[in-house]
This record gives sequence, structure tokens and C-alpha cells, in this order.
Amino acid sequence: MEFRHRNYSAELESHALPRLRAGAHPLSAPPPPPPLSQVDAIDCGNTDFYDPLRGTNNDANAAPPDHDNLNEAADHMPTKEWTSFRRLLTQRFPVSKMVSVASMPDVLTRSGKLLEKSSTNMHLEELEDPQKFADEGVKTITWQEYVSRLHELKDEITRSWLAEDRVTSLKLSIKVAKLLMDTSVFEFYPTLFVLVTDIMDMLGNLVWQRIKRKAEFSEDGALRCNLAENFQARDICADAKETCYNWFNKIGAVQELLPRIYLELAILPCWRFLLEQPLDSLRRLVMMIRGLGDPVASAYCRLYMAHCAQKLPSHDIGYLVTCVNDIRVVLMQILSANERTHKNVKLNKKLQVSLMEPTIEYIMKCIFTGLSQRQVNEVLSEFGLMKNQQDLGSVSCVSIILHHLLKELPIEVVSSNVVQILHLIEFSKDNSFDQHMNYRLLGFRLYERKSPVDIVDAVLDKVIQVIALYDSLDEYLKVVDAYTDLILQNQMDNHLKIILEGISKRTWNKGVTEDEMPSLQSLVVKLLSHFKHLEDVFSLDQFPEILDVMYGKSQDVVFLHILNMATRNGRISDPTSIQLLFEISLALHNNIEFMNMKDDDGQVACSIARFVHMVDYGTEMEHHLAFLVDCRGAFGRLNELKETLVHSSNSLAIQALKCAKKHLNFVKSCVTFSEVTIPSISAHRQFDLFLETAEVAFLGGLVSHSDGLIDSAISCLHTLDIIDGFRTPTDVEGLVSSIRKLCGFLIMVPGTLSLPVTYFPNSLFTLISSRSWFEPKMRAQIFSAIILLLTTLSQKRLPYHANSQIPGNDMLYYGDSSYNQELVSLSKLVLENLLSAVQQEPSQAARGIMALEACNCIASSFMLSNELLSSCLTLVETAKSCLSAKDRYLQSTIQLLNKQSPTSVGTMVSTFV
Amino acid sequence: MSVELKLSRSNRIYRPSEALEGKIIVKTQSSISHYGIRLTVKGSVNLQVRGGSAGVVESFYGVIKPIPIVNRTIEVKSSGKIGSGTSEIPFSVNLRQRDENLERFYETFHGANISIQYLATVDISRGYLHKSLSATMEFIVESDKENSADLQQQPLSPEMAIFYITQDTQRHPLLPELKSGGFRVTGKISTQCSLSGPISGELTVETSAVPIHSIDIQLFRVESVLLGEKIVTETSLVQTTQASDGIADGDVCRNLTLPIYVILPRLLTCPTTLAGPFSVEFKVAIVISFQSELSKLHKKSDAKTPRLWLAMETLLLELVRTK
Repeated sequence: MEFRHRNYSAELESHALPRLRAGAHPLSAPPPPPPLSQVDAIDCGNTDFYDPLRGTNNDANAAPPDHDNLNEAADHMPTKEWTSFRRLLTQRFPVSKMVSVASMPDVLTRSGKLLEKSSTNMHLEELEDPQKFADEGVKTITWQEYVSRLHELKDEITRSWLAEDRVTSLKLSIKVAKLLMDTSVFEFYPTLFVLVTDIMDMLGNLVWQRIKRKAEFSEDGALRCNLAENFQARDICADAKETCYNWFNKIGAVQELLPRIYLELAILPCWRFLLEQPLDSLRRLVMMIRGLGDPVASAYCRLYMAHCAQKLPSHDIGYLVTCVNDIRVVLMQILSANERTHKNVKLNKKLQVSLMEPTIEYIMKCIFTGLSQRQVNEVLSEFGLMKNQQDLGSVSCVSIILHHLLKELPIEVVSSNVVQILHLIEFSKDNSFDQHMNYRLLGFRLYERKSPVDIVDAVLDKVIQVIALYDSLDEYLKVVDAYTDLILQNQMDNHLKIILEGISKRTWNKGVTEDEMPSLQSLVVKLLSHFKHLEDVFSLDQFPEILDVMYGKSQDVVFLHILNMATRNGRISDPTSIQLLFEISLALHNNIEFMNMKDDDGQVACSIARFVHMVDYGTEMEHHLAFLVDCRGAFGRLNELKETLVHSSNSLAIQALKCAKKHLNFVKSCVTFSEVTIPSISAHRQFDLFLETAEVAFLGGLVSHSDGLIDSAISCLHTLDIIDGFRTPTDVEGLVSSIRKLCGFLIMVPGTLSLPVTYFPNSLFTLISSRSWFEPKMRAQIFSAIILLLTTLSQKRLPYHANSQIPGNDMLYYGDSSYNQELVSLSKLVLENLLSAVQQEPSQAARGIMALEACNCIASSFMLSNELLSSCLTLVETAKSCLSAKDRYLQSTIQLLNKQSPTSVGTMVSTFV
Repeated sequence: MSVELKLSRSNRIYRPSEALEGKIIVKTQSSISHYGIRLTVKGSVNLQVRGGSAGVVESFYGVIKPIPIVNRTIEVKSSGKIGSGTSEIPFSVNLRQRDENLERFYETFHGANISIQYLATVDISRGYLHKSLSATMEFIVESDKENSADLQQQPLSPEMAIFYITQDTQRHPLLPELKSGGFRVTGKISTQCSLSGPISGELTVETSAVPIHSIDIQLFRVESVLLGEKIVTETSLVQTTQASDGIADGDVCRNLTLPIYVILPRLLTCPTTLAGPFSVEFKVAIVISFQSELSKLHKKSDAKTPRLWLAMETLLLELVRTK
């Protein structure tokens, strides 16, 4: 076997692509796209091109989905807002396991017996006093029981309806609606509301569908007419009207007010069959709800009305405004009713108000959706908040209503009326809602849009004056947090100073509690994100002090921010900053064990690593190395960081080498630092790091260090197979390419007297062949690399050298026959293994490619003797059986074989084509 | 073998000037012969006097002879045969005849002592050997324009009565705390009302020292029957409709105007009728019940009895048929 002689520089020239000057930068803006028709023409011409995003022409002509069919089923489908609001409502109030009810209605206790009852019984029951089950004393039922009973009732109602027993459906629905009369279920009420209104909606839909069918079809099923979406009452036939009137009549006969209202609301859209102006009914219902004395019950009833009104094709918002005004009256009554004795003293006011809050929220949202400026003014004056047509007056409002109003007001109205709003907040101080939360909300709303500085200034003056009186840090922080952005945006350093002093004064006395921490964190983060440089933040008078009182998770978040901020702007060379950041990193590092090993920690590790990477001591390289040593000691738990340490120390070494004065000892220290650090890093990263350090050591002329590091690199592969989770395709590819890189590096590494010249290739080869987890594909690639390495080493002149001080093997051994012999014998061994690895590959396509790669490797490495040629031909055969005959790689490989082999053989090969 | 009546209108409401139309449906397995199919329309006012408050009346207890309104029989088919299977025989009867001089057509009404009812009966006589087939169905008469010429077409001008209820307007004893604390509920309510429309109005609780349990609108019927020389009158509750509910928690809001809106129940109401031998009138009452421990002891109280915790105002309500 004989190595092929290679002339690397000549080969480079012949294979290099000719360089041409480009007219335009490939990444610059593309020329305007050609007209579409032209694109089409090109597409038609080029059949190979297939755009997966472009549908075929047939698809484009497909009919759009049939909307008419969908409409039928979608009659009065609940809006998305309502669906999500309902979900939030049930989640908002935690429900205890047991629900206490003022009295146990029979509808809850009896299950499913109603249907079997004879009609006589039903009539008797009807005559009985509805109060018969209103026993004294509080009863309890489990939450699950209550809910499942309601689901059962819903099924019963559907079943009766389908069995044409609509009277039973109605009777059950009335009983279900009556459940909402009992507000002593407290936190369960919202859930109850959701479940009951779900049943109401269902009944309403059934009635609607039934009457609509009556209007559209005659009794014998013939089509009478198709009702348009915007039909009028005059389009409806008498028969359908009669049925509809009957429903309202039946519901009107319900004695109790609350179920009567709920049921009428459920079938509210049906008024369209009877009245040209169904909105009149809505106005009456708003008034009727006033009759409900219970504040919670009436508020939820209004909520249901807001929902049901949306089923009408058009509705103004006047009735909703009345609703809010009525709620306000109710609230004022609750709030002023200090001394009046309540029947149910247990129901505290706070809970009552918090139960009512979602209803206010939803109704406010309904009011302000899509209003014009003029309409907004009208609404405000209806609320009694306008002094005249332009200004919001200095009147008071119930603070919880004000809060939700402020939340929904269009931002233009907020910014043009901000002073008046401030007055409103000032004068609206009651127990329904914390006043400071309204100040806070105003801050957030103001920041939504850039407001004139004088206005912001006026507001801040006022707010700071108000909160100066606050004793509680929590309230102070909540307000201040909302205004921080405004202060920073307008660079009101004076205000900033005041609020920081305010915070520090209040923390000084009592410290910061767990609850206050989030607000403080939010504020500090805002400060940090505002300033460009860390120094600017730390130069704020109270900042370090405030930072000191932080602890726990919030402290970590803030520290992480600081760390990220510091590493954002390039190298860190100021020793004080480095010290501070080191301490911060240390705190973060020490807190890691208190967190879960999740993204947060990954981010912490990343940020600390980045900090270490960014540290720059300039010429003080010894200090830098000492810093790295400190880091290794301090951040023992961070694997990623150790990798950074190795990189940093390696780059320090290179930096030292570049200096005019060679600091060989320093380089040696760096290399030693790396060498010692690497073994504590996880195994699959070790190989690369050893290789990198070996290269650095080699560059520094530390050949024996380098040899030792290469040895470590190869032997660390031993441990790799133990590690699980390493064999993702990218990891494997990465490792193979690292090993190939090692082969490339080994070209420069000179042999030593103590070891055989093929020591490293040989030990690499032995290791790879002995490890079973190296798949055939990996083996083939690595073996090819080893063969190419050996070939290169046999050349008279090596393609590259490290530097003039370290002589290459070409200078040491060229012409030495035992050297050549050694290379050849190892090559033979590796070649055999390469050939068998190719045949072991299970996947056909991969095997074909591998055969060609191996064939190329052989053809470019050796003079093709008959023996080798036959090996090559076998490989080509293998490739042919696996790949298509037209495969370009296959063809070019055959061409290469033809070129490299003696002519007689060449013709033989060509017959294969 | 069965026979049934099916009227042309599913709600079975007809006016006196109209014809009662429908089908006689005979189902039989074999063909039958008959001696004629006749349809009888019969309307009458049935009166009875139950034990009233006065002991004297008890002696008159019993049914008083009904007052006939209409009694007409027509022959739908003369004698012949009805084939097997289902046969439908249409019919049409005029309710009122021009020369007829019976009582006026009162509207259908089902009260406690007075019941005005219209029945249609089909008879298929099959000779002496077979039982004749028959079926009866009630239909509802609502008076038409001719009967209420004075009210026709022009929309009912809403006649409202203003009321105010305070501790001083009550003629029955009240709880001491009501007497001393005082209350004032004002409003207005219709005193003339179309049967197809609601009783409407509004009320406002202006003050009340004692929390209000509920406010109800009660509809009463006043039925009077002439019995010899005496008029026996009975008032009974038709329907209670809550206008305001303070039952659960809290109280009715002060100074908010609440609507009064009561849909009149069918069949249980009719136009106010003042005939010679009998009369049907209606009353509406606004009843305020205050929260009181005492009220819990009397769950099922008779609506008419004034209680210590109740305040009320009763007004005469004239019901009329429009359009």
C-alpha cells in the first residue's frame, strides 16, 4: 500500500472557485418584485419548483364555507367575552366545600322524581305555598352536590322539552331561577349565577327556536316564509305571536320578582316577535330590577340583563347607564347603613361589595365598548359626573364604580380630564374600594399615552402631596409604582428623589413585608430599565439603601436585572463594579437551591457566565486570572460558568502570548487552571474544552502540556458512553466534528521520542473501535478522518504548521522508512474497519453515501493498487445498490476513480456506469 | 270508534260576530250508519253562592239557575253513512244571529262563584240500538267591537290613580314601630286597563323606618250575585305579583321608582261586567309587608285580612277589552 503524493497548494488552486466581483450586496434590499403575471409564467415554465405555501388553482376556486347553515345553529351563541367572563367569575371567588343555604329548596334535594309525577300532583304542588320549604335555620349542601344537581336539572329541562312537555321545562326553569334568590351562599353565588344563567340561556334559546319555527313553518310543516336577520314583529304570523304571548303570560304569572325577571330576560329576544320596539321592555326591566332589595342579587340580575340585551340586534346603552346609577344608589345605601341592623349580620359589607364588583366591571365594559367622544360625555353626564358639558365636575362617586369607570374610559378622555379625575378620586373615599388603588390606576392610565409635562407635573404634585400622608408602605408603594414610569419618562428628578425618600423613610421604620415586596420589585425594575448605566442608578441617593431592604425572590429578580444591565454595555473593568457584581452574583448563586431548577436558574447561570465573560482587567492579567480562580471557588454549582472560566483563561493565555513580552509562566498558569477546571465539567463538554486548551498550550509552545491534554481529551471519550441523554443527533454530529478537528490538529503535533509516532491516531482508533455505542456512520466518518490524517503525515511537506519554533513531523521524520511503515500499517487496520463499518450501516440511503465517502477517502489517500481498486469497486457497487444511478455524488466518485486509477482499470470501471 | 272536535284556531278564541269553525273527526274501523250529525253551541252564565260571611246566606247555599246566553243546534249532516277510517267533517256555526234576542255574549270567565262558559258539542245519533257518539269542547269567547262600541279602536287613555300609603291611611291596627316610625310609599297605578295590556304604574318608597319585606300587587275579583232581594258579593284573590323583594337581605331602595307591571292572567279575568243578575268586578291592591318577627308565625295568611305588619291600598280596577 502506498500513500498518494499530494500537492496541497496546487490542489487548492485547482479546486478553488473563481472569484467574481458582485454588482450588489446579497443582503441589500431586493429589487422591486416583478408583476405577478410574470411570476406565474416563470412558475409554469419551471416544473421542478414547487411552492408548498401556494395552493393549487383548484383550491383557490373552492366555495367559501356555507354561512347560511352556520347561522341557524349560531342563534344567540354566547359571545367570547361572556364565555371567558363566566370562567373568570367562577374562579374569582374561592368556594368552600360546603355551601350554606338559607333554606333547602326541594328542587335541590329531590333528584329526578319530578318527571314521574302525575299532573294532578303537579297542580297540587303548584297551589302549595312556595314558602313551604323555607324552614328556619341554615342548611348546608356540598358544593359538588349542588353543582351536579344543577346539571341534572339542566338535563331534565332538555328532556322534558324534547318530550314536548314544555310546561315541565318551564316549571323547572322557574325553580332553578328561584335559587338565585338566596344570596346567603356568599362566595358560591357567582358560580351559582353562572350555572343558573346557563340554564336560562338554554331555555331562552329553545323558546326562540320554537317560535321562530312557528313563524317560518305552518303546522303541516310547509315553509311559510324565511325570517330575515332583521325581521320585524309585523312579519310574524298570528299563530307564532300567540305562542310567544303565551310564554310571556306564563312567565308574568310567576309571583316572585327575581325569577320572573330572570325568565323574561332569558326570552328577551322573543319580544321581537311581538313588538316593533323590544327595547321598551328592556327599559321596564331595568326599573323592575330596582325592586330587588338584596344588593348582590340585584347586581347579578343587572349583569344578566347586560348579557341578554346583547342578543337583541340593536340596543343603546342608556339602560346600562341606568343600571350603574342604580348600583351606585344601592352601594351608597350599603355604605351608609352602619347603624342599621341587618337581618343577616354575618354578611359583611366587604364581601358583599367584592361579590358585586365583577358585575360593575362587566357592565362598565359593555357601556364603553366602541363609544364616540360625544357619547362618552353623555354617559359621564348621565352618571352625574359632569359639571357642565365639557368638564368633569368636582362631585363624588362611589369609589368602586369610579375605579371601573376609570379603567374603561377612553384614554383621550382620561388625559384631557386628568385634573378633574384627580378631584373625583379625592372626593370619592369610601369603604367600597381603597382610594389609593384609584390613584394607582390613574397613574397607569396616564402612562398609556404621552401627556403634556405640565399636566403630569400637576398630577404628580397632587398625588405626592396625598401620599405623603400615607403611613402604610404598601399603599405608598402601590401608588408610587404606578407613577414611576411617568416620572422617569418626563425626567422629573425632583419627584423621583421625593418618592425614593418616601420609600426609604417608610422602610426604615417597619421594614418590608412579603406582600409589599412585589410593588417594590416592580418599582426598582422600572428604575433599572430606565437608566442606561448602572452608575446612574447607584448614584440615586436612596437606591443602595432600598436595594438593601430587599430579600427573597424579589431580590433575585432585581439582582438579575442589575447583572444583565451591567453586562449589556461592553466590558466591565472598574474594580468596584466587578466587586459589586461579584457579590450580587454570589447572592443569586446561593439562592439557586431555593428555587426550582427551571428557566429562572438557567437565566441566572447564563447571566453570571456573561458577567464573568465581560470582566476585563486589561493589562492586569494576573488579577484577571485570580478573579477567575475566585469565581471557580464561588460558583461551584454552575456548570456553564466553568466552561466560561476555561474559555476566559484560554483567551487570557492567548492575550498574554500576543504581548511583546512573552509571559510564558503566566500562559502556563492559565493552561494549568484550565486543565484543572475541565474535569469538573460535565463529560460531554470536556472533549472540546480539552482540545481548545491543548491548542492554546501548543500555541504557547508547551508541547508536553499539549500532549497531556490531547491524551485527556481522548480518554474522556471513555466515560462518555455512561452518560445518558447525550445521543441527540446534534450532539453526535458535534462530537464527530470535534474528533475530526482533533485529527486536523494532530497534523501539527510533532511526535516525541518517548511515544510511537502514531500514538494519538492509534489510541483514538482503538477507543472508537472498542466502544460499541459509536454507530457505524460515526465510525466511518472518524475512520476516514484518521486515514486522511495518516496520509497527510506521510507527505513531504505538511499543509500547515503551528509556528516556526515547533517543527512538524515532516521535518522530523520525512523519509524515515520505519515512520512510513508505521503510518501504512495503521492505515491498513483503519481501512479494514472502515470498510466493515460501511457494510454495517442499517439504513440504505446512509450506507450508499458512506460507501461513496469511504471510496473518495481511499482514492484521494492511496495509489490505487488492484487490491484497493477492487475494494473501491465493491464500495461503488454498494452505493449503486443503495442510491439511484443518476445520483451526482455517485457519478462524480466514479469519475474520480477513473482519473486516479491506471487506464486499463479505468475502462473497466466505466463499464459500470 | 271515536269522535272528536277540532276547532279552526289553536287558541280556541272566537268573537260573537264570528262563526265557530272546525272539523268533526270520526275514527272508525268499520263503516257506520247514523241518523244525523248535529252540533250544539251552548253558552251560559253559571252562578253559585257558597258560604258567605253572613249566616243568612248559608240557607241559600246551592246552585242558582244558570242564565243562558246561546243555545243553538245545527245539523251538519243528515242521516247517512260514515266510511271506515278517519273522516273529517267540516262545520261552521254563526254564534250570533241577527234576530236573536238572548242575553249579550259575555266573555268567557272562570271565577269562584260565577263561571261564564261556552261549549260546542257534537252528537252522532245512531238510533235506539246504538249509543250515540258525542264529544264536547270548550271554546273561548272574547267580545268584539260591536259589544264594546264605546271603547272600540281609540286607544285606551290611561287612567291612573295616584296613591300614597302612610301609617295614617291604614284603617287597621299596625305594629307600634310602624305607627311610630312611620313610612310613606307613593305612586300611581292604572284603574282602567285593557285585558291585553298589563296593569301598569309605578311606586316609590320614600321613607320607612322598618325594613320592607316585600311589596306585592294583588289582583282581586269581586263577584256579585243577585239572590232574591239580596246581592251576595264575594271577593277573592286572583294573583299576587311581587313588585319588590326585600326577602333575602337588605331592603327596598328608598327613592328609586319601581315599575308596576302585571300581566293579566287569561280566563281568570274578563271585562268588568255589570249585568242585572250578576256582576264581575276587579280590584287591585298594593300591599306592603314590613319585616317583623310576627309575620313568620303566620305563613299562610289570608290575603284579604289586614295584619299588623301590612299596609295596603286597594283600588277599583276596570278591565276592558280593546281591539
